[in-house]
Amino acid sequence: MRRASLINALRRVLRGYLFTIAGIAIGVAGIVALGAMAERIVRFIEGGDRFVLGQISVAGRGMGMGAGFTAGGLLPAAAVEAIRKVDGVAVVQPQVMLPLNPSTSQFMTLTQELVLGMDLSVPSPNRHYRTLPVQEGRFLREGDRRKAVIGASFAASRRLAVGSRLELEGQPYEVVGVLERMLTAPDRFVIVSIEDARDQWVSKDRLLRTVLASGGVALHAQDLNTGAAVGWREGEDPDVVARRIRDRVAGVNVQLPSELSSLLRQSTAFFSALLVGLGLLAFVIGGLSLANTVAAAVFERVRDFGVKRALGATDWQLGGEILAEALAVTVSGGAVGIVLALALGHGIDGWARRSGQQLFLFSPRLLGGTLVFSMLLGAAAAAYAALRIVRLSPAEAIRRGSAA
Amino acid sequence: MPPETVLTARGLVKRFAAPAGAPIEVLAGVDLVVRRGELVVIEGPSGSGKSTLLNVLGLLEDADAGEVCFADRPVSTLGRGAKSRERGRWLGFVFQSFLLLPALTALENVLLGARYTTGVDAERRRRAMALLERFGVGERRDHHPAQLSGGEQQRVAFCRAVLNDPPLLLADEPTGNLDDANGEVILESLRARAREGGAVIVVSHRPDAAHGAHAVYTLAGGRLRPH
Repeated sequence: MRRASLINALRRVLRGYLFTIAGIAIGVAGIVALGAMAERIVRFIEGGDRFVLGQISVAGRGMGMGAGFTAGGLLPAAAVEAIRKVDGVAVVQPQVMLPLNPSTSQFMTLTQELVLGMDLSVPSPNRHYRTLPVQEGRFLREGDRRKAVIGASFAASRRLAVGSRLELEGQPYEVVGVLERMLTAPDRFVIVSIEDARDQWVSKDRLLRTVLASGGVALHAQDLNTGAAVGWREGEDPDVVARRIRDRVAGVNVQLPSELSSLLRQSTAFFSALLVGLGLLAFVIGGLSLANTVAAAVFERVRDFGVKRALGATDWQLGGEILAEALAVTVSGGAVGIVLALALGHGIDGWARRSGQQLFLFSPRLLGGTLVFSMLLGAAAAAYAALRIVRLSPAEAIRRGSAA
Repeated sequence: MPPETVLTARGLVKRFAAPAGAPIEVLAGVDLVVRRGELVVIEGPSGSGKSTLLNVLGLLEDADAGEVCFADRPVSTLGRGAKSRERGRWLGFVFQSFLLLPALTALENVLLGARYTTGVDAERRRRAMALLERFGVGERRDHHPAQLSGGEQQRVAFCRAVLNDPPLLLADEPTGNLDDANGEVILESLRARAREGGAVIVVSHRPDAAHGAHAVYTLAGGRLRPH
């Protein structure tokens, strides 16, 4: 009996509020979809920030072939050794970071595909990424040659998996691991041993090849580093250690973690502003749409509320009823809106993933926050409308409702 | 057992703002007493203020002056919540345009008042069903107002008005939207209500509405004049 009346009540609400729920769903879907795009950008920026704050990045002074945060001139082995001796330095990992395709402009490219060569004999100096999370297969080990661990987006865009073969500068590589999707730079990395990366560098850079072939410069394989990641000892201030390296080692560009973080934030300031704008716009438009829909749904039933008061309903009973219905309708509309946005986002991402992109990030905080926001806004709109309505006498409410 | 005097109205005045000029005085000192078992009919031309008077008597609208008492207890000065409770306890309404809630079935409409006053229990539900059966709309209990004829809707509205067995029934042009046959069913139901001991006030244009009435008044110039 109780179940039947509950089902009847649900049917009544759905029938009476179908268009309201649809209106709310569209507003909420807008908030969630735009919010998910903003979340995606935030995750990218936060990921990069976390990475650069976890290590001191050093490159050789000048310009070179390197890319990414260690871009600069050559960082020879002697310089690496000199850095190791600086007080407060715990570990130095020489690295080679190259654009996968040198013809690709970095202009307006936040997610350039990079080859990262790591000296695997040295543990990762990055405090926030002691290991990169591997989704499938394994990470590289010392002694691995012609083996690669690839980022999730890189794998998706090229349909690569563990065991696939990959050709880099004419050499075959075996994919031994695929990283988890991190929604930040490593998603588009190809990670190889530093020895392999050096080979690729020489192969890519005709000038370097010519210099090496001439024998005019005393250059060894260990000198071919585009930079190094430096870890600091426990209790040391990374900025102080970075300044110490800058003072004591000649011919290097040292990025203070805090400076690099601020540089990263400056370079992404446009996107940050854009996403704040997007988020605000989504909340204002979606919120107004939702509040307007709920308030209109209450106002259009002014006659019904007049009748109910004529039959003995008190303001509190009506207020509670309006609020409960508004919450039920807002939650239903919110849930439908979230499902709509998820379907839309996953559909678009399914298409974008073919080129290794992901445009939406539906985080729990976004979904939960939107639902709570919708409920609060729906309740506020319903309360506003209810206050306006209960101020009318029952006769006036019936008159207005009948005239509408 | 309800007291002998159900409703007393003294010196009711109601004015409405006019678009220009002085306010229009629709009620200019109305006095009325209605006792148990009485059927009172109020007639008058359109716009004379009959519906306004019924609204004021039914606490649906406040008067600018005067007093309404239920069983000699002043109720027109009560707060909004208390007025709602008094309406639920003392009054049943039958409106010209039925005023059934479109989203509810006939049975749910009948039980609507009980939802806010006595609560809906099995006994109340049985009584609602019995009323619908008595007025020939029992088989239409699960239909929505849009699926009912005008006569059926008014019979459902009548059932709603009497479900809680209120001491006073107020009917505003209850036959205004009905054909003669359905109108007669409703008028006879109102007469029967008075015979059963309830007090009934009917505002109507129909000449036959006064048939069987204990008192018939005409509202003109803002005052009630007995026939």
